[in-house]
Amino acid sequence: MPIIEVNHLTKEYQLGHITSLKENVLNTFRRLGGKPTQQRENFKALDDINFTIEQGEVVGIIGHNGAGKSTLLKHLANISKPTKGEVIVRGSIAPLIEVGAGVNPELTGRENIFLNGAILGIPKKIIQQKLDEIIDFSELEQFIDTPVKRYSSGMTVKLGFSIATSMDADILIIDEVLAVGDLAFQRKCFDRMEDMIKRQGKTVLLVSHNIRQIERICNRVILLDKGKLIADGKAKKVCNEFYENSEENIRKKRIKENKTQNYMISNELNLNNITLIDSNGISVSTLKPGDDIIISITFMANEELIKPKFGIGIHTLDFVYLIHEESFNHVEPNTIPPGLFTITCKMKSPPLLPGLYAIKCGVGVGEIMHTAFLGEDLFPFHIKDPSGKSMREAILSTETEWQLNIN
Amino acid sequence: MINVVKNLYQYRELIAALAWKNIVIRYKQAYLGVLWAVLKPIMLMLIFTLVRSFVGIESDDLPYPILTFAALLPWVFFQESASEGVNSVTSNAALIKKIYFPREVFPITAMVTKIVELAISFVILAGMMIYYKMVPTIYALWVPAIIFYTMIVALGISFFGAAVNVYYRDMSQALPVALSLLMYGSPVMYPLSLVHKKLIEEQAAGAWSNDLYTLYTLNPLAGIIDSFQRVVLKGLPPDFNALYPGVILTLVILPFSYLFFKRAENWFADVI
Repeated sequence: MPIIEVNHLTKEYQLGHITSLKENVLNTFRRLGGKPTQQRENFKALDDINFTIEQGEVVGIIGHNGAGKSTLLKHLANISKPTKGEVIVRGSIAPLIEVGAGVNPELTGRENIFLNGAILGIPKKIIQQKLDEIIDFSELEQFIDTPVKRYSSGMTVKLGFSIATSMDADILIIDEVLAVGDLAFQRKCFDRMEDMIKRQGKTVLLVSHNIRQIERICNRVILLDKGKLIADGKAKKVCNEFYENSEENIRKKRIKENKTQNYMISNELNLNNITLIDSNGISVSTLKPGDDIIISITFMANEELIKPKFGIGIHTLDFVYLIHEESFNHVEPNTIPPGLFTITCKMKSPPLLPGLYAIKCGVGVGEIMHTAFLGEDLFPFHIKDPSGKSMREAILSTETEWQLNIN
Repeated sequence: MINVVKNLYQYRELIAALAWKNIVIRYKQAYLGVLWAVLKPIMLMLIFTLVRSFVGIESDDLPYPILTFAALLPWVFFQESASEGVNSVTSNAALIKKIYFPREVFPITAMVTKIVELAISFVILAGMMIYYKMVPTIYALWVPAIIFYTMIVALGISFFGAAVNVYYRDMSQALPVALSLLMYGSPVMYPLSLVHKKLIEEQAAGAWSNDLYTLYTLNPLAGIIDSFQRVVLKGLPPDFNALYPGVILTLVILPFSYLFFKRAENWFADVI
């Protein structure tokens, strides 16, 4: 039996402000008199959502801002009630919706542990038993008797997370909490969450804009868009779909705003054209894994460029730089006259796995070098396995040799 | 109703923790701390005593300051519980949007918070009784029941008011006005015996006198304050004739108020 069941969940909000008392009274009279009442526009925050989650599943929920992620979590946590449909939850829920909601700035860390424990429904006895563990995990021993209003924001979140995860619930709901804290603490939170997921077999629902994180932790991802469930399945597959969607959205928006690319503009040179050419010399935007990639960028130089140096690279759609190569040692012109010129860089079978990538480029000029051009996300392209099946949990691959010795 | 009691028991730790938080926060950085809580009844007592020296109000042969303080004690407790209760849901908007527990926890917590202040007022009342050399009788055992009844009355207002306040903040503006009017309609500045004398004995309003007196005692606070003064200061049992109209009204209103609150609760997180 699934631990969470969501059937035809629809949530409507009325747009605009609450009607005034006068209007309400007037509407009541109109209704009594059988006359039409003034209706406000409805907005569907969630539109006929259906899914079930089994015990022990770790499910990520992704989507753009306003897709309905937080609204969905609120329904699961029983904070909001559906307009239509039903939500069945068989088990206790620990809502970590924005940890620190119950943290009061006037109280000390220790006092807040007890207060938040009570808010989360943890019995006082258990909090007392776990007090040391909570303080230890939060790394705040030194500050535990200081009012939280004197804490840094990171410290507050650490405290909140430490309390919330000490709760013994069957289902954990986590909304955008791991985005804070320093790297070491994030690491620790991850470990604790993985411990809860893998060893204690808890069901976890995770909302985040950090898609990499979701891909890593979750084995299943639900993609929401404008209140509708548009994908539900394997993490990698749904995340890629989401990337493609957002990329398309960004491009559409750019065309709408009449701004086709985003890069630094200088009066020395302008980007004219950029193409991707495969080994057959054809301009493409989709390649196979292991293909050579030829990147050809045409610039318009507005003045004579002295000792220009070029850097071309590839990054993921969330701007992780994967490759960056420089023209230094390859082409070293002393000057380039004003006018059009094209720089081409051939990458010999870059070790990219199927996915979506984009090209970045920088140009430095001058005796004392300064940046004359810098652009990211200049040309998005797709690496696709024609068979369409290889979907590895990584970005890069390398040639390998394996050995097996059995003694 | 059984649900309320069950919830109250199940969430007792939460209520205690939230009430404790309210008290700590309110007085943490104040040097005089929780003493501020009793400033209100004491100031009112002093003002009333001053006013009385001009206009002359009967005081049932008791020292007027202690008579009026004994009236102010349940009154201020009621007034503060009700007004805090009405604001309790909206002032906890952050929690309401983030986590679920039965929302009646908030008005109840507001009331529990006020019990601490009430306890301090009791200490002052005891001090005054020692000063005036008054000894409580066996009837003082009625006090817990009277306070409990006051809590029920305050909750009757809080539940309805808090739910309305989520939708229309007019409530939190209107309530202080209504409550201060109600104070003059309650035997706080003057004893109930004065009203009784005018209406029942002297029939001051002619044929309407008896009905007017019933109407006056329909205000639960009339019975509460009078009973409180009787059992603590006068060594008499409560006057049930003055109590029952208010009790009936309260018992009628409370279930409606609670049901209204529970129905509205479903949309608190969306509207607040």
